[in-house]
Amino acid sequence: MLDSLRASIRRTAFALLGLLAVLFLYLSYIQVVQSDYLAGHPLNRRTAAAAEKVERGTVFDRRGEKLAFSKKDGEGRYVRHYPYGAIAAHVVGYSSPRYGQSGVESAFNGELSGMNNPERRFGPITGLWTAKAGNSITLTLDGDLQETAYRALGNRRGAVVAIAPRSGAVLVMVSRPAFEPEAVDEDWKEIVGADGSPLLNRAVQGLYPPGSTLKVLVAEAALTEKITDNRKTYDCPGSFKIGPDYVLNESNNTAHGKVDLEEALAVSCNVTFGRLSLELGRNRMAKAFDRFAFARPFGGDFAEASSRLPDFGRLGDGDLAQTGIGQGSLLVTPLRMAMLAAAFADRGTMLKPFLVSRVSAPDGAVLRQFGSVEFAAATSPATAAEVSRMMQQVVSSGTGYAARIGGVKVAGKTGTAENPHGAPHAWFIGFAPAEEPEIAVAVVVENGGAGGEVAAPIARQVMARALR
Amino acid sequence: MDTKRECYLLLLAGAVLLAGVLAVSLAGGAPDYRALGAAAGLALAWPVAHFALRRAGHLGDGLLLPLAAVLTALGLIMVFRLKPGLFMVQALWAAFGLAAFLGSAFFFRQAERWSEYKYFWGLAGIALLLATALFGVDIGGNKNWLFIGPVHFQPSEFAKLFIVLFLAAYLNERREVLTFATRRYGPLIFPQPRIMAPLLAVWGLAMLMLVGQRDLGAALLYFGTATVMIYLASGRAGYLLWGAGMFLVGSVLAYALYPHVRARIDIWLDPWADPSGRAYQVVQSLFALGSGGALGSGLGYGFPGLVPEVHTDFIFAAIGEELGLAGAGAVMMLYILLVYRAFRAALLATSPFRALLAGGLAVLLALQVLVIVGGVTKFLPLTGVTLPLVSYGGSSVVATFILLGMVLAMSEKRPADA
Repeated sequence: MLDSLRASIRRTAFALLGLLAVLFLYLSYIQVVQSDYLAGHPLNRRTAAAAEKVERGTVFDRRGEKLAFSKKDGEGRYVRHYPYGAIAAHVVGYSSPRYGQSGVESAFNGELSGMNNPERRFGPITGLWTAKAGNSITLTLDGDLQETAYRALGNRRGAVVAIAPRSGAVLVMVSRPAFEPEAVDEDWKEIVGADGSPLLNRAVQGLYPPGSTLKVLVAEAALTEKITDNRKTYDCPGSFKIGPDYVLNESNNTAHGKVDLEEALAVSCNVTFGRLSLELGRNRMAKAFDRFAFARPFGGDFAEASSRLPDFGRLGDGDLAQTGIGQGSLLVTPLRMAMLAAAFADRGTMLKPFLVSRVSAPDGAVLRQFGSVEFAAATSPATAAEVSRMMQQVVSSGTGYAARIGGVKVAGKTGTAENPHGAPHAWFIGFAPAEEPEIAVAVVVENGGAGGEVAAPIARQVMARALR
Repeated sequence: MDTKRECYLLLLAGAVLLAGVLAVSLAGGAPDYRALGAAAGLALAWPVAHFALRRAGHLGDGLLLPLAAVLTALGLIMVFRLKPGLFMVQALWAAFGLAAFLGSAFFFRQAERWSEYKYFWGLAGIALLLATALFGVDIGGNKNWLFIGPVHFQPSEFAKLFIVLFLAAYLNERREVLTFATRRYGPLIFPQPRIMAPLLAVWGLAMLMLVGQRDLGAALLYFGTATVMIYLASGRAGYLLWGAGMFLVGSVLAYALYPHVRARIDIWLDPWADPSGRAYQVVQSLFALGSGGALGSGLGYGFPGLVPEVHTDFIFAAIGEELGLAGAGAVMMLYILLVYRAFRAALLATSPFRALLAGGLAVLLALQVLVIVGGVTKFLPLTGVTLPLVSYGGSSVVATFILLGMVLAMSEKRPADA
């Protein structure tokens, strides 16, 4: 009697205790395996709630000006302030309890919030050494120069990037339209829905056809591959027929007549550069893009959109010539074009651009420092010098006239990039002073028109301010 | 298990309670002497209860009270951490619970005698439930509260015990009929309709609770416990099939007819479809558990306030956040031990009725832990029941202590029986 009862009790006990054990295992799975995912989930307000109790670190520019800092509000919670407002909004980013972080605020969130310690796993013991305040970040950015660039760009859509060519330090990173980082919480819906996507950092995430600014790369390739030298001349009748059905036109159908490489760059001759691209051919063109590391990501401080290079192996002659004048399917970011200019400024070496120079503890002690790192050996010093000399001609006697600065030699290249979205994008890339470069810039104005007229003056203002 | 060890374990539970209350109150600044006094009183009351039991010659399982005491201690610490204003009330209920435990431990020594009043128990249980259905007050979405003067309580917590008592007695008398007087077709068995009446009655009750009071969790507990008890009594897995079938029919009907049931299922299937809306509670609970990780944030250093209803149904999430897997796992282990000891009492019981009663109570306890811990961890669809002894709420604490007192009585192997 009791025995059969006991048998069914035993079976039931095994089943239920087994289920409880399975539940225990599932709990362990959630608290151990899924722990990081759940703790870091964007909808989990714990990080933000904890952040309000900790003083977030300050973000400084290269001169020690505050770009972002935290102050207690009336209720004893820390609130973030941004003295430069919209001017540095994309680089510095925002930090909102509701919408998370962007820019440096996001990339260095762990440092700034003081919660990057892997000791989180030690549970309550971490309380013994967690900081009361986050670490501070010093940027390579120049707040004053940033403001100059922001004002120079005005209400037009576009981006300005400036790099110190001999270190790779990013001096300026402007994108417009911008937003007020302090107003993110209140105006989120407006900001997200606004025309021109103000949250998009065009300097590193905007993809544009580079237009004629790319010709400096083709000139370098032609010299490196010894396709041409500066004595060889080309004849420009105003247009160039490629194959049975493709014609490459000069803008305004101007015939440039007999030009050498230097003159062709100065007047931005499409016919000559189309021809050079065909002479270089697919492989050597691809190699040139490879040397300047267009497709290689560098990670680190930026959330960069990767450039779109054409598949050179499948390119027809017409498309290859198009690529040579910065058109066709080629799309690049303003940052990559600034790096291209900086490579010629720095004797052919391309340095990794960086934005954060050091991380310091709340007491001021430097915890980590960042400096120059070579990114690519792009070209030889001799070829770089040759291209640099030609780029000076562009400014002194060519399309880049508007970038001239009194008493300083400026090297540059303009671009007027045709695009499917209306008027061409105005481009300028360059550096100054040409002999001892201190600043390299890239400017793009969306649908701005001619690069020489629209982008070059902006670059001039930024360079002049930097050299003042 | 010698009784000395029971006393040590109870002193340990008291130390846990005192240390926890001290830690929480110190984290908030100054020590709260009133709360510490109440904790000290309970810490003292547990060994006193032990002496009262043993002096009176009770020979029940010496692990039950210590396990219950540690769980109560953890619950009180968490209530103090989450809702300091409710701590004194809960401590008072814990003291009542202890008294009820002693009372029930002695009262059910004569379980066989009380089993003769089975219909009284059954009717009392049904009356309690009907009373809530008729006069119940809606608190927090569940219409299962009764007010008697200033005291409000949840009768369904106590009705569970009456129903288990009734079923144990009723099924015990009909074990042979249940086991043999059935027709079989393959794996399916067809018992006489008369025998199936209690199962149908409990099923009806469960459906009534579901419909009338939206108390999904209680409905599940009643029905699950009744089904498993019929299996225990008959030893026939076919009854489980019947139970599963009726449960399935009930669930499908409920899913089709009731939006709140549908919502619970949808949330369970994919909480990330609407994490800030309908699935908010479960998602917040998962965040709390995940953020706690292995060792937790430390008492008072987490953000369990982000989880709605955290001091009642979701207290397990708060334990997981602030004490980590170390704490939440310990709670699970305590329940596993408690359920194991209850089943052990059933296995060692001296009569079939006692075995059935202890077994039914063990099943009830196990199911309740499964349902609520499974619910807050998204292992099962969420149904609101309390975490026994830990959640805030007097009815639940007192009812669970009575349940454990019954188990203690069933676990007793008196020399006279041997």
